[in-house]
Amino acid sequence: MQVIEYSYLIPLLPLLGAVLAGFFGKTVLKGNSHWPIWIGVAGAAVLSFLILFGMVGEVGRAGEAFKPISKTFYTWIESGNFKINAGFFFDPLTAVMLCVVTGIGFLITVFAAGYMKGEEGYYRFFAYLGLFIFMMTILVMGDNLIMLYLGWEGVGLCSYLLVGYNYDKPAAREAAKKAFLVNRVGDLGFALGIMTVFTAFGTVSYFGTDAAPGFLQIIANGGLTSFQQNCLDWIPFLLMLGAFGKSAQFPLYVWLPDAMEGPTPVSALIHAATMVTAGIYMIARCSTVFVGNDAALLTIAVVGAFTAIFAASIALRQNDLKKVFAYSTVSQLGFMFVGVAVLAPVAAVFHLVTHAFFKALLFLGSGVVMHAMAGELDLRKMSGLKAVLPKTRILMLIGCAALAGFPLLSGFWSKDEIIAAAGHQSLILNIVLLTTAFGTAYYTFRLYFRVFEGPLVLPAGVHHDAHHAHDAHHRTHDAHHKADSSGGGHASDHKAHAPHNHEPAIMILPLIVLALGAVVIGYINFPKPLLGEFLGHSPSFSLGFKVASASHTGEHAVSAEAFGQREAGAETQGHAVVLAVSSAVAILGIALAYLLHLKDRAAADKLAAGLGPVVRVLDAKYWVDGIYQSAVVEPLRALGRAFSRIDNWVVDGLIVVLTGIPKMSGVVLKITTQRGYLQGYATAMLFGIVIILVLIFR
Amino acid sequence: MSQLALQHYLAVGAILFSIGLIGFMTRRNLIILFLCTELMFQGVAINLISFAHFHGNLAGQAFVIFVLVIAAAEASLALGLVVLLFRQRGTLNADAWRELKG
Repeated sequence: MQVIEYSYLIPLLPLLGAVLAGFFGKTVLKGNSHWPIWIGVAGAAVLSFLILFGMVGEVGRAGEAFKPISKTFYTWIESGNFKINAGFFFDPLTAVMLCVVTGIGFLITVFAAGYMKGEEGYYRFFAYLGLFIFMMTILVMGDNLIMLYLGWEGVGLCSYLLVGYNYDKPAAREAAKKAFLVNRVGDLGFALGIMTVFTAFGTVSYFGTDAAPGFLQIIANGGLTSFQQNCLDWIPFLLMLGAFGKSAQFPLYVWLPDAMEGPTPVSALIHAATMVTAGIYMIARCSTVFVGNDAALLTIAVVGAFTAIFAASIALRQNDLKKVFAYSTVSQLGFMFVGVAVLAPVAAVFHLVTHAFFKALLFLGSGVVMHAMAGELDLRKMSGLKAVLPKTRILMLIGCAALAGFPLLSGFWSKDEIIAAAGHQSLILNIVLLTTAFGTAYYTFRLYFRVFEGPLVLPAGVHHDAHHAHDAHHRTHDAHHKADSSGGGHASDHKAHAPHNHEPAIMILPLIVLALGAVVIGYINFPKPLLGEFLGHSPSFSLGFKVASASHTGEHAVSAEAFGQREAGAETQGHAVVLAVSSAVAILGIALAYLLHLKDRAAADKLAAGLGPVVRVLDAKYWVDGIYQSAVVEPLRALGRAFSRIDNWVVDGLIVVLTGIPKMSGVVLKITTQRGYLQGYATAMLFGIVIILVLIFR
Repeated sequence: MSQLALQHYLAVGAILFSIGLIGFMTRRNLIILFLCTELMFQGVAINLISFAHFHGNLAGQAFVIFVLVIAAAEASLALGLVVLLFRQRGTLNADAWRELKG
């Protein structure tokens, strides 16, 4: 594969674009700031797909003999026996992740050019986007944990910058800080995990040569010392903490819903499709570390399943489009964690890919709605938008159906695989996930029916063109047109006179591509597990399978297919029962949403009134934010105040005392010797000389 | 009259130096102060010459010539400064210049 030689361009092109947009955007490029990013990300996407196709061909030719490619550029850090190479590692997992990041990243940058048009910080926004793609590609391509950590922190920084993009809004500033601080908690665990890996195995590379194996190989080869074994008991928990922070799992999920303060393309790219899946990627990459540790797997499964149902239940009562999808993302990420925990990492990665498509589609669709509705996102204030946004309505319907797990769409296949794999391990998990799937179908279609179907209702201040074609406003439209485009989606007065075309091609085309993906991408792993077989050639999965099958035998034997491995003589297991049950669940959820939110909306309100206490709990989001406030934030604030007092009184007091000594001696000298009389100084000099002479000639 | 010995010369030098020192410590007039420093100079110079003479060594005498030249240069500079100071305050009293006190 010749193209690997140029792989360094994948992170470099978006970075170059970001530098150009960042340094020349304000003065030179202005409204064209999206061009360097478009070109950079498109170049990276083309290279990524070339690598993917090249690797698919290679796997087809070489079969079992396929060898992943690692490419080292230079030694980055060297200190004693701690050596980090700046190197990339290309295996099927990397190729798939790269295509998701750059492919969806490109579509979203195209959308953003339309969505952000005329915004004051246009160049800034695109510079951050380029930087994000740079960091994210480093994250998925790095061949060791330190490179992963570099990308990990880098995307965290970009997330902070982009959530706080509207930094003049206090809510955006608070959300950005919250995202950053909550992630610190997880990253502390991650950093400790990396250190433990190095202490135990002397390397942080995933894979190496026979002479210098990476830590995953050392673990898979077995024969560990008892110290290494002890470390290995702890490493999964530390790494897991990092993954829970980045991928917004309970109890560290609180930052993600608030992060919706960022512009909508950011929510789609960073907080739905790519960055938040970094935790899943990390666990899939290091699955060798996890699969041998039952306590860790159980923890991930419990946290993932709990987060899935917990976040889905909150989403049931959210009224903000983006908030619904934010909680939905948290919930779907929970699914993926369950996937890796029930020893089906292929299913988790599969769900990651399909989720990236339909969730990006849904977020961008909400962006179109927000753009057309003067920044209004409250689904109680709008209805029947199919008359205003006909194209968006169809695209959103596809996205919602895929998220709800409607049969034959992408979300259906991937969610099913996870539910089926969970069913092999535990009935309770199965029930929890099916309940979540039901809730997901319900809240997704509640949103769809409320917003796009039913009688036309527009938020106050938004006029549909047909309604006031002869209105006096109409004559001023052209004058407003220029100002309109600067609204960028957040409520502002002049947005009231929305542009004629609510659905510009630059925003709809990326959505169409994503919608196509949301429909067909599920077939890459069904009916034949093509994705699975491809991913199975990644050493992460084959070594993971080796370790997992060694420690799980008998009743809970590991499915080879779940790791993309071939088992001699084993037929592909069908899970027809699961398929049937989850189709029924999805359709039931949609039907319930139809009854309550389209056919008879009054009934929904009556039902909500009847379920008073439950609704109150859900509306309060289980008071988690309040609990954090009183259990973490307030004590820390009190501690801060205490430290501030100590600083004010004890430290500053000490300083006053210390500085008082020279001050006082100065005053004493001033009134005794240093009076300014020439003769006084001469006398002092004389006595000084006398004393010195006496001392010398004594 | 016994012959002049080294100590006589040294005594004259010491007396000159002491007169200069006491004058410097007690008077307030800038010009007088300046003259007193000159007296101290001469006391030291006599010291040097007498030692040079009695040791038969010319280095001390040469040194004194240097001192005289420097003193002449310094005298012109110092008197110029005194004139400037007098123009500023209209008095020659050294106590008029106390701004630099501790």
